[in-house]
Amino acid sequence: MWILLPVAGMSIPLPILVGVGALVGFLSGMFGVSGGFLLTPILMMIGIPPTVAAASDSCQIVAGSSSGAAAHFRLGNVDVKLGFVLLLGGLAGAAVGVRIIKILRALGSADFVITVTYVVVLGAIGGYMFFESLQNLRRGALVPKSHRASTEQGLLSRLPFQIDFPRSQVRHSVFVPFVLCGIVGILAAIMGVGGGFIMVPMMVYLLRMPMHKAVGTDLFQILFTSAGVTFLQATTNHTVDLMLALLLAAGSTIGAQIGTRVGRLLRGDQLKILLASIVLVVMIKMAVGLLMTPSLLITPAKGH
Amino acid sequence: MRHRNLLVLILQFLVLSLFAQGAAALEPVKVKVTPPTVELGTFYGGAKMHVAGMTGAGSKIVVVVRGPSAAEVFNKVGRVGPIWVNTGKVTISAAPSLLLIFSSEPLSTCLNPAAIDQYQLDLGSLKKHMQVETKAPDRDPIADDFLDYKVHQGNYRITSHSVHLGAPDQGGLPYSLDFEMPKTASPGKYQVSVLECRNGAVANKSDVDLGVVEVGFPALVARLARERASLYGIISVVIAMVAGFGIDFIASRIFKRRVAAH
Repeated sequence: MWILLPVAGMSIPLPILVGVGALVGFLSGMFGVSGGFLLTPILMMIGIPPTVAAASDSCQIVAGSSSGAAAHFRLGNVDVKLGFVLLLGGLAGAAVGVRIIKILRALGSADFVITVTYVVVLGAIGGYMFFESLQNLRRGALVPKSHRASTEQGLLSRLPFQIDFPRSQVRHSVFVPFVLCGIVGILAAIMGVGGGFIMVPMMVYLLRMPMHKAVGTDLFQILFTSAGVTFLQATTNHTVDLMLALLLAAGSTIGAQIGTRVGRLLRGDQLKILLASIVLVVMIKMAVGLLMTPSLLITPAKGH
Repeated sequence: MRHRNLLVLILQFLVLSLFAQGAAALEPVKVKVTPPTVELGTFYGGAKMHVAGMTGAGSKIVVVVRGPSAAEVFNKVGRVGPIWVNTGKVTISAAPSLLLIFSSEPLSTCLNPAAIDQYQLDLGSLKKHMQVETKAPDRDPIADDFLDYKVHQGNYRITSHSVHLGAPDQGGLPYSLDFEMPKTASPGKYQVSVLECRNGAVANKSDVDLGVVEVGFPALVARLARERASLYGIISVVIAMVAGFGIDFIASRIFKRRVAAH
């Protein structure tokens, strides 16, 4: 069965759209990532114009993250207090990132910077997570992990406005999550993605949050960020395809439910090494795509 | 006198016959396109089209389905150091959004190169007439890639031996064509042209308009997205949230029941 996407201006087989949505939703529920870094390239591969793919992706992330966040909320994995601080930082960072993109576009080097940032950030995060999780898995589940207070942690604990986040069992200056999320927001705006795949590792490694709490809280803040992005895309670029978003969402909301439950069966390190592997695969695919000569020297800039 | 009258009558008959023949030659090819309008509804996945009519005996037929020629914007991919990235925009105009060419025989046997070029019936003539706006010094590779892209999409296609000719009768030569309107056809005013070819030239031509219109839910969504963007943005967010929470509610019930059953 084919379905017409009115904003993209093309017909696509229905099972493909729902299947792609289910796959990305599964990853979203499992790892707390919005899946934008995977979904947008997949949609482009099946012929959706890039601007419509990115905008509709953010709309379906609203559905996927609300389903995932609700499921995590019931499991006690959402730190609402920390989530709002992260959200404020993320929005401030995104505003700065959008300005940076505007300047880069004026200079004519935006695409170059975006692409290189993508590969470097994915490679750095994926590589670090992979090897760190591998070491932990080799040490074995029964060996208690040492939580040594690093020099950075010592410095961070001396910052003013220290607040307890009991749900996440951490204490931080309000500036720490705000600034960290601001940096992620800048990167997310430059790279045009939700930023979950950067945010979750940041929360785990720098804020010292348990993996499951990081996933739930990240989904909570992604819900608000993606809702804002969807509205902005719809009003400024007119590129949100509701039909496409709803079909992807139908798959992703179901996938997110399954992913959340499968995620509970795995240990934190197992989840991390799986996420790291996916991030590295995407990075390698992108790097290869950058170096290989494309079959066509033009790509469609927008739908109709 | 009687002979003179007879001669005048014969001459009149000959003149009238010649005029009648001329009128028949000038009479346009009969064309009927079914359906007359292609409706892009929710489940549109291409449409079966039928073109039929009558033409003069002994002619070859070329049917051309041409979409509107709107400017299309593309990203130009170029090399920066070792990597390939978008390096600018390219605007291509004076090229149809869709071009399907069907003929009763190979196109080169129906028409001579000048006629093919005049009516833009092959990729070479399209390339010659299209306009490419780019900062790149050479437009040729871009024009070639545009044509490759359109062919790959299924929007530019040339198919010979696809127009079927029937047995000639008093009304002329019947012809028919069945084809599939592509899934990627965008809304707009299309034109179906039937060319009657004789001696390598177009002897006669008839054009019929073919509307491609969005209907139902896709039409509503497209109109809202274009004309009431703020409302559309809010609706999109609300529907997505309701869908997400709704699925979560249903899923939580299902999983709870399963746990209870165990």
